[in-house]
Amino acid sequence: MKIRTEQFVEIAREEMKNTRSKAFLGLLPPVINAMRQISLATFPDPDAAQAYGAAIRGEVVTRLPELLEEFERNATARGTKVVWARTAAEANAFVLDLAKKKGVAYVTKGKSMLSEEIGLNDALIDNGVDAIETDLGEFIIQLLKRPPFHLIGPAVNIAVEEVRDLFMEKGILAEPTEDPVALGYAARLHLRDKFHRLEMGVTGVNMAVAETGTIVNVENEGNIRFAKSSPRTQVSIMSLEKVVPTMADALHMIRLLCRNGTGQKMASYISFDTGPRAAGAIDGPEEVYCVIVDNGRADLYDDPVARDVFRCIRCGACANICPVYTKIGGYPYGWAYTGPMGQLLNPLLLGFSGTSDLFRACTLCGVCKSVCPAGVDHPRMFLYYRARDAAGDPKLRSRGRPLKERTLYDLFAWGATHPRLWRQGAKRMRPRVNRDARDGYLSRSVDSLDGWFRSRDLPEMAEKTFQERWKEREGRKANA
Amino acid sequence: MPYAAREDVLGKLKKTDRRGETPSRPPLPPLTELGWGTEQLIEKFTENLVLQTGVVHRVADRAGALEKLTEIARAEGWKAVMIATDEVLAPLDLAAWGRANGVEVLKAADFTGRDAFKDAVFDQVDAGITGVDWAVAESGTVALVHDERQPRLVSLAPILHVVVVPVDRILPVYEQAVERILAARGGMPAHMTLITGPSMTADIQATPFKGMHGPRRVIALLIG
Repeated sequence: MKIRTEQFVEIAREEMKNTRSKAFLGLLPPVINAMRQISLATFPDPDAAQAYGAAIRGEVVTRLPELLEEFERNATARGTKVVWARTAAEANAFVLDLAKKKGVAYVTKGKSMLSEEIGLNDALIDNGVDAIETDLGEFIIQLLKRPPFHLIGPAVNIAVEEVRDLFMEKGILAEPTEDPVALGYAARLHLRDKFHRLEMGVTGVNMAVAETGTIVNVENEGNIRFAKSSPRTQVSIMSLEKVVPTMADALHMIRLLCRNGTGQKMASYISFDTGPRAAGAIDGPEEVYCVIVDNGRADLYDDPVARDVFRCIRCGACANICPVYTKIGGYPYGWAYTGPMGQLLNPLLLGFSGTSDLFRACTLCGVCKSVCPAGVDHPRMFLYYRARDAAGDPKLRSRGRPLKERTLYDLFAWGATHPRLWRQGAKRMRPRVNRDARDGYLSRSVDSLDGWFRSRDLPEMAEKTFQERWKEREGRKANA
Repeated sequence: MPYAAREDVLGKLKKTDRRGETPSRPPLPPLTELGWGTEQLIEKFTENLVLQTGVVHRVADRAGALEKLTEIARAEGWKAVMIATDEVLAPLDLAAWGRANGVEVLKAADFTGRDAFKDAVFDQVDAGITGVDWAVAESGTVALVHDERQPRLVSLAPILHVVVVPVDRILPVYEQAVERILAARGGMPAHMTLITGPSMTADIQATPFKGMHGPRRVIALLIG
């Protein structure tokens, strides 16, 4: 996948002119969030349920290495082949090599954000193994060669007319129609044969249960179940934070994932794999591979603030309610992850250089944090990112801020820590600054700070500073 | 894949000192469902499944279930069905029922292997019929353990899934179903599914519809 995080502002500006996307995005907060609220209300104490989810994920983050080892031990004991990959390239090479060894012409893909992150499809397709996305939304954007618009509904913004033309062009649709249901059924028919003849299925992982060595997938369409039922070989790829301690924890997180993600009480299908098929079973995989992918995460683990992103369960609730996402949609985030989680994950995984607009495009309103079932404190993290970026932290691959900005703030800091200079400076600056004031407010800059003033005003400088007024007051008291 | 990858990744994770950092768990959040009585469990299971467009018929006994099945077979014009041979379906003797009603009743054991079985379950049957291991009232969900008797594709590939649920198998919440499965098998089975209504999607313009890749309809026969 092409990384376009650097064009955040440009793409956001374009997308805000897109009336179709805007109409859809306008519906997100009222509709999806209402569904989320209603489904959460089925808990006798929704806040306690969310808090328990946050506690589970917090525990996962602190116990990560031991939980991974426990998962590996139990999964291996049941016959799952656990494979570790340090990088995207290692993960892709493993899957490609396996597909070649098995001699398969194609694999079907269940929706997996990790596979977008590591670029698995391209790695397979460029080397002669077709990778067919089978989630309806992913299927459409793969054909259109577009990035995901939304975590759960990657193609939900695409016009029916565009889907119709696409399906006609690809021979998926016999008669043109604009009925979304008929379009969906056409995709069903097209993909059904792929499932029927499938020899190797590739899926993501929603949870990996340490206690039992079980892989869990949550879905509505059934494409993941096909990938786990029809072929002889199943490959499930997971980023290393997907592990949870116990089966009871997994069930609680499933309740939260469904409610927070799609406003459902329960998704249509939850499937649990503990090793390959049972002895004597006629379908199901003879071999199950679980690829645990690091791709830069382990390097971040000793950062006690940054590692909190590993709490995320990819439900997308933060995006559905974010005042920024619901104006600009998913494209500006420029990579696999969209919305507030994209603002946190993309910079960490890609490095701050080239992604710093992402964590600045936020007013710190905190609504993301308020809906998160995993206890991610987004605003705290955004502030932390900004501070580390200002410091030019090489570990987070920050190249620091532009010279002009740095110089300005250095000057400000120097002045602000020298009281006498500050007082004199204020006195001298006042007439110059206030010359531009209108009705008591400054709305453009004396110098080249126009960017700052684009969305902000400053009150004009007061006639007297606080210090001066205080002195006068004390003087009056003394005279009285 | 080099073995070094595992050592590298775990090594990096382990070198971080996290002692004393594991937060304590708050008390387990309450679940209303745990207080439900038998009739309420049946009612809630039905209500939740119907919300997902499931059709629920309640019959008194096995004879009633076979009668209902005949009715459905006629209305749907079934020629052939694929069945599981789990412990709920086995006593119904669906083979005999099929012979009496002119429906070809197929099962995994009739096929030489995976490919022949797949050809039939994908293209030659009008419905898949399964029992359940357990059912969960919380969300109108059925829990299936997949093995020799319960092939994965029976409840997935045909356009219609008929699921037979003895009412004494309806439990309040998922945890209880999983506990019973773990106890009966001494661990997690190779494959287990929780199925709630038909396959669905809302990926084109957020328009929801049933029957994306799996069954378009689910009919539950409650016995008891």
